[in-house]
Amino acid sequence: MKALTEKEVEKMLMEHADSLPDVILEDLKREALAAGLTAKELETVLGDVLKRTEYAQVEPGEAVGVVAAQSLGEPGTQMTMRTFHYAGAAEMNVTLGLPRIMEIVDARKQPSTPMMTIYLEEDIREDREKAKEIGNMISAISLSDIVEKTETNLLDSSITFRLDTKLMKSRGIKIEDVITRLNKSKIEVPDYSESRIVLKSKTQELRELRKLATKVLGTHLAGIKGIERALVKREKGEYVIFTEGSNLKEVFKIKGVDKRRTKCNDILEIEKVLGIEAARRAIIMEILDTLNEQGLRVDVRHIMLIASAMTVSGTVRSIGRHGISGDKASVLDRAAFEITVDNLLMAGVKGEYEELDGVVKNVIVGQPVRLGTGVVELTMKMDKPKEAAK
Amino acid sequence: MKLTRFEKAKIVGARALQISMGAPILIKVPDDIIDPIDIAIKELEAGVVPITVRRKPPKKREEIPMDRGKSK
Repeated sequence: MKALTEKEVEKMLMEHADSLPDVILEDLKREALAAGLTAKELETVLGDVLKRTEYAQVEPGEAVGVVAAQSLGEPGTQMTMRTFHYAGAAEMNVTLGLPRIMEIVDARKQPSTPMMTIYLEEDIREDREKAKEIGNMISAISLSDIVEKTETNLLDSSITFRLDTKLMKSRGIKIEDVITRLNKSKIEVPDYSESRIVLKSKTQELRELRKLATKVLGTHLAGIKGIERALVKREKGEYVIFTEGSNLKEVFKIKGVDKRRTKCNDILEIEKVLGIEAARRAIIMEILDTLNEQGLRVDVRHIMLIASAMTVSGTVRSIGRHGISGDKASVLDRAAFEITVDNLLMAGVKGEYEELDGVVKNVIVGQPVRLGTGVVELTMKMDKPKEAAK
Repeated sequence: MKLTRFEKAKIVGARALQISMGAPILIKVPDDIIDPIDIAIKELEAGVVPITVRRKPPKKREEIPMDRGKSK
């Protein structure tokens, strides 16, 4: 028996193009060619694959939502018993485990530990210096980072900042830049030199003076706002920048950043910058990663359903009172969820209409639910009474 | 088309009810089988159950061409 050629394999696979997903067809093609299968062997493999694909499919009428909830809920109970925080790899503290899942599902405005993984474009991927340069460019520097010592003088109500000139040099910050920055934020600098900045205030009070000092110290000088720290690490043969804090929009503007692979764990930011589909993918990946990190295996399809439910409306909505459950269109759904009487009363006042097309509603009314056996409609074949009588 | 497990259950249930209320049986069954549900299952396997499943196709979506939004 001879091994199949590419054309022959393709021809055999095309016969099943309707019943197998494209990904599986591609995998099959690649593996069949690599292993040099004969026609008979491929036939056997195909039969097995077909059987398993069919087994993996969901039957119409299946209560997928409930199954998804259970499939995520059960591993969730195991997570509670484990650590909340995980001093993860890359010397960074990342929220993981149950708190992270809650964060995602609640669609919080900002994750408690925003983070980015910045990949570089192909030509500079393996250049350590270039990666470090970008890393330095990215991390935000405020005045407080380069100030060594702050002196407040009550006699002439002045504040003097002694600067760390070495650090300034290594980060490429010139004193003139600092002054223009300060002027931009409407702070006048009457006197400055290479290593110090002197500010004057009209007030005589020490408290006011201190207040001014802290305000000035917070001035953003360079880098990208929101990114506190950048770490360059070698990963799988290329240099990758990990950051604490995130700002997708600004990072994308930097030359040399691979926009296709760069990741961020702030889902709402992804939604804003890249759109709702990207946000859906991010939800899936984030939930899956946190679960896998804890050694829990959940089928992607459950997570996909959750992510889809959160994003169908076009914006990311949380699961729960303020999100999907809270603003359902159906009266009975809302009443079943919370504040039953108020919801029913208001629905009555407004004259709302109930379609009775869901699960909860039919349970309330006492009808069979349109799910599982409930979706099946039967009719009798009445055209063959004679045969039946025999 | 293959029946889903829900459809099978529903058909067996409906047919067993008919049999239990005295409907004529459409296949030959051994004398020791007297449970209407068992008989209904046998009938379904033999493919003689006089019941049809009515499947509803999923709701069709309406496609709205973009030129409809054009102001005249």
